[in-house]
Amino acid sequence: MAIDRRKIIESLSKLDVVGNDEGLIPAYNVFVNQLPARFWNAFADRLTQHVSEDLIESAEWLLVNAAHECGYHTGYGIITSEEWKSVVAPMVEKVPEDILHGAFAVFTAWGWAKSEIVELIPNEKMVVRAYDYYESDVVSYGKKSKPCAYMIRGVAAAFMDLAYGGDYDPTGKTGLRTFSCVQTKGIECGDEYGEFVVTRATNK
Amino acid sequence: MPIKKKTEIILDHRFDPKTCRHYLNDQVSVLHCHHYATLYTQLANDCGFIDAKKLLADVAEDTFFDALSSYYEKYQINSVEDRITIAEQYYALSGLGEMNVIYAGIDSGEVELAHSHLDAGWIKKWGKYEKPVNFITCGYISGMFSAIFNKPVRSYTTIETKSIVSGAEKSNFKVTAN
Repeated sequence: MAIDRRKIIESLSKLDVVGNDEGLIPAYNVFVNQLPARFWNAFADRLTQHVSEDLIESAEWLLVNAAHECGYHTGYGIITSEEWKSVVAPMVEKVPEDILHGAFAVFTAWGWAKSEIVELIPNEKMVVRAYDYYESDVVSYGKKSKPCAYMIRGVAAAFMDLAYGGDYDPTGKTGLRTFSCVQTKGIECGDEYGEFVVTRATNK
Repeated sequence: MPIKKKTEIILDHRFDPKTCRHYLNDQVSVLHCHHYATLYTQLANDCGFIDAKKLLADVAEDTFFDALSSYYEKYQINSVEDRITIAEQYYALSGLGEMNVIYAGIDSGEVELAHSHLDAGWIKKWGKYEKPVNFITCGYISGMFSAIFNKPVRSYTTIETKSIVSGAEKSNFKVTAN
């Protein structure tokens, strides 16, 4: 594999993200925001804590779905961006597998999760490990009984959609949600790392 | 009396290569897009389980109150004018839009947005909407007023009275003390 993770992370973590005169950050075909991680964590954590037991799964699905759509559209914006073309594209030999490895290096550089693919069966399954991620910050002491990295789950599934789900669909009607992800380990649960298993969605 | 705004926000951005986290003014910061922000907002808007609009606004209030208060303390920003300028600039640097505080008093205030990440993102994703949806900015403004006037969170209520997403040229927010 030709993907040099260290080089990608070094290059793309230094990009300055600055708002324009309108206070907006148009980049990668989306409007970008840079907010304290605590904001996203607090909403997800409070939402899932406030709903009744029988609705937790629905609330979690909505949180994962937000990341899934975000990862699909922003992921496509990233892999078609000038930054990608100059830094990552020259390293790509095997499509789409190298693109997936490169995407997780970018994912890491952007501060979403220090993560990498540890197993990839093309068009079928991907296992990702995250050794540090902001979503685990919801626990400061002890451990949760259930993992809660909804953002990583959604984005990991979205990256597989982009790789094996057919042509990118800006409407999200066709290529999105062809894969789904479950979190099998979590730092927030006391594990050494978070682990995410992406497989073909059963409802498509 | 007209007030001249001259303070410039200091943006201290640091990437920790060991954890691969970004820090913006000592806070763990993360990049996301309008899809994520608008889907969280839609989730809050449509949520039938609990009052998630208030939950989202409260989370924003808590988050930005802390961010602004710690900034004011660290850089000894003490005047109301300078605090407002910093809060407007922080809002823009976060990519949330162009905010202008029309007036601010300890018991009330008015704020407008000429441009808004949430509204622009919502329109780009789904088109216009009949009701205001910028719960995050309502929380931001409440937290901002508390930080400016050295009050605890939940001291102010912010209501969006006009919104870009509903067709207004600018979004408008009324602030009242609780």
